[in-house]
Amino acid sequence: MKHVLLMLLALLLSSHVTASEDNYAFDDPNTRAQFLRLTEELRCPMCQNQNIADSNAMIAHDMRRKVYALLKEGKSEQQVIDYMKARYGDFVHYQPPVTAATLWLWAIPFAFIVVAMSVVLIRRRTTVDDDNIEEKLAKADAMLKQEKE
Amino acid sequence: MKKFPLVAVPVLLFTVLIVFLFQGLFSDPRELDSQATGKPLPDFSLPDLMQPDTSYGPDDLTGKVRILNVWGVWCVTCAVELPYLTKLSREQDVTFVGLYFDQDLDPDFGTKTLSRVQQEVTDMLSRYGNPYAFNIFDVYRDMSLDLGVTGAPEHFVIDAEGIIRMHHIGDINERVWNNKIGPLYNRLRQQNRSLEAAE
Repeated sequence: MKHVLLMLLALLLSSHVTASEDNYAFDDPNTRAQFLRLTEELRCPMCQNQNIADSNAMIAHDMRRKVYALLKEGKSEQQVIDYMKARYGDFVHYQPPVTAATLWLWAIPFAFIVVAMSVVLIRRRTTVDDDNIEEKLAKADAMLKQEKE
Repeated sequence: MKKFPLVAVPVLLFTVLIVFLFQGLFSDPRELDSQATGKPLPDFSLPDLMQPDTSYGPDDLTGKVRILNVWGVWCVTCAVELPYLTKLSREQDVTFVGLYFDQDLDPDFGTKTLSRVQQEVTDMLSRYGNPYAFNIFDVYRDMSLDLGVTGAPEHFVIDAEGIIRMHHIGDINERVWNNKIGPLYNRLRQQNRSLEAAE
């Protein structure tokens, strides 16, 4: 039992190991870091819930090769992202751009907070606004007294 | 009367949520809006699959309405659609051009020879039918990447000016042809013919 648990733990911990097996040589550690970052950020169009670093689909393989080639040419990270977006659409990058259609992703949580806050505030104001409170308290006292008797 | 709107708010929100989620049931996550549609073909210079000495460029795909079919012998759906494509090319005079790429022919660690690929292609086409006017060999799969191809089979309807008019992901069968691709193809061909007749 202990072994099974240990193995499960090991499995959980190893989840971040990526499947890419290609060997790409870099002269500059910065370019290497860029390559690793880009292949994590770019999404595979074939196997949609994987990034291209993680996927073994042919298209992901080709995209890694292209990212490598573009970085070797001296392209910046943004240029590589734009290159892929021009071919596969916004879909290919895990960071969605802010457009009229995607604005809601950011707007709805804030709108929800604003609406909830205003509801709470309005509610509170209306309950405080009770002017015959004395009368009601007297009535409640009378009821309590009655119960005691 | 005063309470009515407050009750309606959660009901309304719930209805909106349900409609949104219900639509999600029928949306296809594989359906990507193609970036290639409406654009001219990307620049390329690639050899013929069977005669590697012949090379093609974007100019070889103008002057006529064509369907560029991305395929490979390793692709099962391609084999399934080949007989129907052949029928279309014979009976309705539809022009298909193949964009062939091989899965095993790894550009970095070449494992397969070209003659082997040619042999496999010949075998497959003689078995299932050959709808292609010619086959462009996408050696490094660069052209596929430029076109935004995600796999095979995929089809591009290219008009006489070399502009991509439609990007269809998946196979062509009778239903797809009659409802989606056929009407566009025939309209474009009609336009081109009347243009040619006017000249």
